[in-house]
Amino acid sequence: MFFITYLRRELRRRMRQAIFIGLGLALGIGLVVTVTAASAGVKKAQSDVLKSLYGVGTDVTVTGKAPRLALPGAAPAKGGGGQTFQIGPGGAQLCSNGKCHNAAGQTVDHLNSTSYGPISQAEVAAVARLKDVKAAAGGLALSDTSVTIPKNFGQRGGPVPTPNQFTVQGVDTSHLSLGPLSSGTVTSGRSLTSADANSNVAVLDSGYARSHKLKAGSTVKIVGHSFTVVGIVTQPQTGTPPQVYIPLARAQAIGRAAGNKRLKNEVNTIYVTARSAADIPTVQAEIKHLLPKDTVTTAASLASEVTGSLSSTAKLANVLGRWLSILVLIAAFAVASLLTMAAVARRVREFGTLKALGWRSSRIVAQVMGESLTVGILGGAAGVGLGFAGAAIITAVAPKLSATIASSAGQGFTAVAGGPGRVFSPTSTHSVAVPMSASVTAAAIVAAVVLAVVGGLLAGSFGSWRIARLRPADALARVA
Amino acid sequence: MYQLTDVTKLYAKGRHTVPAVRNLTLQIEDGQWLAVQGRTGHGKSTLLNLLGGLDRPTSGTIEFDGKNLGQLREDQVTRLRAKSIGFIFQTFNLVPTLSAAENVEAALIPLRVGAAERHRRVAAALDSVALGDRSRHLPGEMSGGQQQRVAIARALVKEPTVLLADEPTGNLDEDTRDEIIGLLEKLWRERGLTLVLVTHDSAIAQRAQRVGVMSKGQLSLRDDARQPADSMPD
Repeated sequence: MFFITYLRRELRRRMRQAIFIGLGLALGIGLVVTVTAASAGVKKAQSDVLKSLYGVGTDVTVTGKAPRLALPGAAPAKGGGGQTFQIGPGGAQLCSNGKCHNAAGQTVDHLNSTSYGPISQAEVAAVARLKDVKAAAGGLALSDTSVTIPKNFGQRGGPVPTPNQFTVQGVDTSHLSLGPLSSGTVTSGRSLTSADANSNVAVLDSGYARSHKLKAGSTVKIVGHSFTVVGIVTQPQTGTPPQVYIPLARAQAIGRAAGNKRLKNEVNTIYVTARSAADIPTVQAEIKHLLPKDTVTTAASLASEVTGSLSSTAKLANVLGRWLSILVLIAAFAVASLLTMAAVARRVREFGTLKALGWRSSRIVAQVMGESLTVGILGGAAGVGLGFAGAAIITAVAPKLSATIASSAGQGFTAVAGGPGRVFSPTSTHSVAVPMSASVTAAAIVAAVVLAVVGGLLAGSFGSWRIARLRPADALARVA
Repeated sequence: MYQLTDVTKLYAKGRHTVPAVRNLTLQIEDGQWLAVQGRTGHGKSTLLNLLGGLDRPTSGTIEFDGKNLGQLREDQVTRLRAKSIGFIFQTFNLVPTLSAAENVEAALIPLRVGAAERHRRVAAALDSVALGDRSRHLPGEMSGGQQQRVAIARALVKEPTVLLADEPTGNLDEDTRDEIIGLLEKLWRERGLTLVLVTHDSAIAQRAQRVGVMSKGQLSLRDDARQPADSMPD
């Protein structure tokens, strides 16, 4: 075919220029692909972080309004019968229902929900009945905190008690596809089942099990109750997922809300699945209307609360990366256009001759566009290669990113002393280490092809515009 | 074939308008060989461009086979050029990246001739200029005379009725000049072409049927024109 022969020969003649243009486009497109891959990697990391917090299939999370932390020296809630820990002239004292006794050498153990307020199961049912809600399940995010009071605590130079803490998640065994346990993979034993609703059985996070040398069949103590470990799960992220999962009914029975109130028929989190992704905003609005005091969070709103290097990297990829790519692309397109115009200028006599032979302008334009498009597509292919290389380099050398989400799990422990109070709130934020993995997506490759075609067409169109305006007599006169 | 009536072509040069051709009236018969002489810048090439439809007159009419070139659309003039008018240039104007055969083939592309027929006609055209064995050579691999013969093959491969040659021997040595003019004369005679040849060379002009001299945009025809039979060899 004459078109191909002519195109091939012309590109071979302008090999160096074609390579230069192609490399320029490859650089720009490669940068776009790399940035897109990095951005996709960051998004996936964010998604994994959110998934580990939310659980697979959860679109909306509702948390009860956070109760006010007890102030130092404040009395326990009426009827709560809670314990307070005080340091006075007589040393450390543990007080309950107005009666105090020496705390030295004693262990205080609490399973509390202090960051999230209670939500009744009737409200969970009401949420489940909403029009655009597919499923809703309640959960209890609790924290087991135990402190052994040293004998000489409170005396000058005496030791400070170190709290021992782990997180406990009450799981609705009739809705196991929702909530944090749903995103875990069972690596040993089994998960919870509906038959476990009232049993003292537990599933452990693999990290917790490893650090405490526990396995399926072991026993764990939660505020004095023994639970048999039936399985070990691994969560997709190496962050801080709940460490112990127990049936919701058991968590309600042994856990306490703020002020040491019982949690019978109460949860502090509702995990909701919308009928479709498009319904999520509607579901969010419906729940806000139904439970105005509680906090309704979607994946999108939670993502905006993520801070740390993951958030910084996302901003870097989205803002700096995008603009850098655009600038390089503009430069590459401009250089390609200028070089193509220069090449056309050098071929004026050739095009004038072809016009004299009876070639229509459109035919000559097609020839030049074909040449530019070929260079663009070859540049695009090289750009995709560079993009893959860039993504591989990022994956290989990028350090783990940290994601920090404020007050997501809602556990806390308050210690009150006679003097200035001290508040232990060890898990008021979640920090998750996320591996940065840049992967080139099909969309990025499609974008690269589109950019290559656009770059080629843009470069060719400037030259073509000149050819279309070229009068054959003028073209021939220039060399006559 | 051609009827030019009161043709004027003006060019803008800065603030001034320069007449390249002035009030030219000329008739060129089918199969006639007209040689145009004249000093550089006196309108010879402009006349050739007007005859080839590469440029349009500022005023006056140019009729080609009864069609007014000035009133045809650009695509119609392009089609006419593709089909009926062959060009030969002083600098050969071959596409440097294409072989001799491909350069000749380029003239058949606008006519949408099938590939097999194209190749047959290209081979025949190169044979007619005695370059059948150089079909794969690039222009840079050939002498000036050979390049001009490729250009002649390119002009004639589409079997035009008119051949417009702008100083075809201007870049050639004397022997090659004679060879090329001999070839053109032979083809003109064999094919009954209408040949308009611009030349500075009086020896070449003397071989034409009619000779005109362009001076300041005006053409003066000499009356010593030969008939085609005059130039036939004995």
